[in-house]
Amino acid sequence: MEYILHLFILICFYTLLSQSLNLSAGFTGLISLAHAGFYGIGAYTTAILSTQFGFSFWLSIPLAMFISGVISLIVSLIALRTVEDYFIICTMGIQVILSSIMNNWMDLTRGPLGIPGIPSISFFGITLDSKMSFLLLSLFFVALVWFVLRNVSKSGFGKTLLAISEDEIYSQSIGKNVYLSKTVSFTLSAMFAAIPGTLYAHYISYIDPTSFTVAESIFVLSIVIIGGLGNLTGSFLASAFLVLLPEALRFVGMPDNIAANMRQIIYGLILVAVMMTGKNGVKELFTSKAKRTA
Amino acid sequence: MIQIIANILIASSLYLLLANSFSLIYYPSRIFHIANAAVISFGAYFVFFFANKFSIPFSVSVALAIVGATLIGLACEVLVYRQMRKKNVPPLAYLIASIGLYVLLQNYISLFFGDDTKIINTAEVTVGNQIFGAYITTIQIITVFVSIALFIAVNWFLHYTATGKSIRAVASNPELCNIYGISSSKIILIAFGIGSALAAIAGILTAMDTSMTPTFGFNLLLYGVVAMIIGGIGSTRGLIAGALLVATAQHLAAYYIDTKWMDAITYIILILFLIWKPLGFSGKRLKKVEV
Repeated sequence: MEYILHLFILICFYTLLSQSLNLSAGFTGLISLAHAGFYGIGAYTTAILSTQFGFSFWLSIPLAMFISGVISLIVSLIALRTVEDYFIICTMGIQVILSSIMNNWMDLTRGPLGIPGIPSISFFGITLDSKMSFLLLSLFFVALVWFVLRNVSKSGFGKTLLAISEDEIYSQSIGKNVYLSKTVSFTLSAMFAAIPGTLYAHYISYIDPTSFTVAESIFVLSIVIIGGLGNLTGSFLASAFLVLLPEALRFVGMPDNIAANMRQIIYGLILVAVMMTGKNGVKELFTSKAKRTA
Repeated sequence: MIQIIANILIASSLYLLLANSFSLIYYPSRIFHIANAAVISFGAYFVFFFANKFSIPFSVSVALAIVGATLIGLACEVLVYRQMRKKNVPPLAYLIASIGLYVLLQNYISLFFGDDTKIINTAEVTVGNQIFGAYITTIQIITVFVSIALFIAVNWFLHYTATGKSIRAVASNPELCNIYGISSSKIILIAFGIGSALAAIAGILTAMDTSMTPTFGFNLLLYGVVAMIIGGIGSTRGLIAGALLVATAQHLAAYYIDTKWMDAITYIILILFLIWKPLGFSGKRLKKVEV
């Protein structure tokens, strides 16, 4: 039972991560491979603030979001000068630099040793040390972020973003500030990524750089693409699918180490299949919906 | 100091080979072939597979490995990219599909060979040859000569043979080539073949010099990509300059700061170039946005 709750909490984390990436990748067309970096910034900010300065959860969440936002703003000033393939490579470079800082800035992050002893979340004198209570807290954040992102995507700003992802030059010609909209979308997306970072740090109580690598960024991007660009429900379903997949493989009798590789092989295959057919997400793969002209 | 210069030369010749392999594919097809990283790894692992498991003579295993890895590269083109081209998908889809292919292939390597570090056993370990006071292993000398020879050969091929000229023609305008009776998909297939073979050779040389893990191709590929972007696409001298700059920056960073910052330095250079000189040394414009 404990383990099932653990899986549900992981699904919450990946839902938060993939939905926040969906804001920039799905709605705006900024396919970023630096998302795990911002997730990591959230986790490290929380870890450092709570272990060294005794900050509580409710204080470190806005601070983590703020720091992630500032760094992503700087990053966006660099990365948004490039387009398409080059944007992806540029964000991948930023991801490597962020991982490198987490690994090598010993004084701040303790490098590969990681930061242990992050306390559990407590408020009003109640400590959330049971899995059930943590799941409820995570669900609250999933609901909150989902609600905010849904409203952003339905708002005028969301429509502008969608227009940019369809045709940048046309959007500019009808008077939309493309550069500003892209910056805001990229920064918001990174700020939301800090939320699962904070939750993760408090939940696992120990963080190290291996959780925030390029491979993790690729995994989150795959969730978004498998779930469908601009489809928040899809992101949630794809997170659930990919988190539960190794369990399902283990259930049919596959050894642990093979199941881990098989999961990656399967998501690689789905990624290729989705891209090959030119459909948007797995949902369209099975329905014969009209092709989205991106 | 001489040791550093020697290391820079060795590294830059390897990056030149990698950049050459990547750009040969990117040039006519405009596909950012990340899965080439898996081809690099496959080349090295095939040598390990044939030479260490079946004790096939070393030279034969190397040949078999290059053929095997090339077939994987060709399969990517025929089974995936060509199908995508028929569907006329948006350009970004190729890069994402390529990342998917890389994840897929890399995990096959992990599945069959395990994630631990492996060494290709060739001969007993020697100290290395002392040249002008720098220690250089035999395999490093081979790397330098093979890379430079292949670079010259590929450039000769691109400029003085009919097929090579067709590759350059497809790179500049695929539709016009089809009108003139050059099959662009056939030319792209040839480019994929040569590019994958070069990648496999680079992988084998690196694995013989140091060691290998299933993911070691990814970093190598990215060094090549960075060298290519810095150099500017489609420029011979640009590639050399790019490879030299990346290798020099990495080794100076390793010497003056710390080896652990080598990767970060590589990407900082890339990002600086993307901001201030997005067209690279050569300044040739990519046909990225057609208005």
